[in-house]
Amino acid sequence: MAVASPIIDVSFDTLTACSGCDLLHHHRELELGEYARCERCGDVIQTCKPNTIERSLAATLTALFLLLISLITPFLALSRAGITSSMSVFDAVEALWDTQMRWLGLLTLALIIVLPLARLLLLGWVLWRLHFGRKARRSMRIAFRWALKLEPWAMADIFVMGVVVSLVKISTLANLSVGIAFWALLALVGASILINASLCKDTVWTRLQQNQ
Amino acid sequence: MDTTSTESVTAKEAGLKRCASCGRLQKIDDTQRCTKCGAAVQSRRSKSIQRAWAYLVVGMIAYIPANITPIMSTTSFTGNSEDTIMTGIFSLMSSGSYFVAGIVFVASICIPIAKFIIIILLVLTVQLNWNLSEHTQHRLHGLTEFIGRWSMIDVFVVAVLAALIQLGGILTITPGVGINAFAVSVVFTMLAASSLDPRLLWDVQAAATTLDNERVSS
Repeated sequence: MAVASPIIDVSFDTLTACSGCDLLHHHRELELGEYARCERCGDVIQTCKPNTIERSLAATLTALFLLLISLITPFLALSRAGITSSMSVFDAVEALWDTQMRWLGLLTLALIIVLPLARLLLLGWVLWRLHFGRKARRSMRIAFRWALKLEPWAMADIFVMGVVVSLVKISTLANLSVGIAFWALLALVGASILINASLCKDTVWTRLQQNQ
Repeated sequence: MDTTSTESVTAKEAGLKRCASCGRLQKIDDTQRCTKCGAAVQSRRSKSIQRAWAYLVVGMIAYIPANITPIMSTTSFTGNSEDTIMTGIFSLMSSGSYFVAGIVFVASICIPIAKFIIIILLVLTVQLNWNLSEHTQHRLHGLTEFIGRWSMIDVFVVAVLAALIQLGGILTITPGVGINAFAVSVVFTMLAASSLDPRLLWDVQAAATTLDNERVSS
């Protein structure tokens, strides 16, 4: 049984504040698919997305699958004068490691592999447990908090753009072809957009509180 | 679909503070962590202005060597050549790739400089109580958070090229020191943007409006 919360909590729950400008609003019961904007600055302050756990879990698992594919397959292959070289994401990082630019290699590793992977794993774990009605542990709240914090630092989309620019830069020097990993990364950008579109933070936080 | 605001009072004025991660409100003088999500709750991000300045100064200083030292060098049997950010853009243009040259120019030159100017403008607005249009401010702040990441393009381009073009004596590309400085600049400018609390901008506006109203009524 859940322990009754103190009255003071309940009275605050009828209010909500804007994250952009701090203006207080009355909390509204929204219909599915509705959202509420701040009266002053126009930021979205309340959302109520349909089937949010299921949809965002599906998108997260898709993104995770695509990320793993993009790690193990080559994303570019080049040939010139009979010499062929193909490259996976790890090779890119390794090449930087070998050229005395170690911390640049580490930064690239973090931004395109470690942080996106960490974000998807944390998000996937939280949503998975919520979907299957498991008990909401304390660690899940920490996991979800970090998943939200990591969002701007997961840069797979920007990496894809970087690859396109590189392709154009060296197209005059050698014959190039893009590999499976490139398309997987491109699809990953789409999956990330789907996650953001389907994930309703309000609902997840409420579920994390209720299922304790 | 506007919600009805409660006679235009901010959470701070009502003696409440909002949890940045889950949005739950609690009393402003409560020191405990948020009971809903477990995050530490602050009414305004602590030392927001000082942090923004500190990160921004590092970002701006690092931007200078990022532009004057080479970001990569190309070694081939025809000789060595070194590229800075600007010469990289020119060589893209001379090979006819105007669109890609434009992307790199926007990501590596326009966005960082625009971000420096916008963050300085917003921080000074708070510090000197400037009366900027509130919605201009709000849009500028949203923009800095959204566009900053895209500056990393050049870092990834150098990483990809250096990793891919290792064809022994025929053609080799190695990263130059400039790209380190550029990465530092982008990361620290992102930190500056995220440490600037947008609510401070509205606090300044609200204070200015109250002053005007008092003047009118007296």
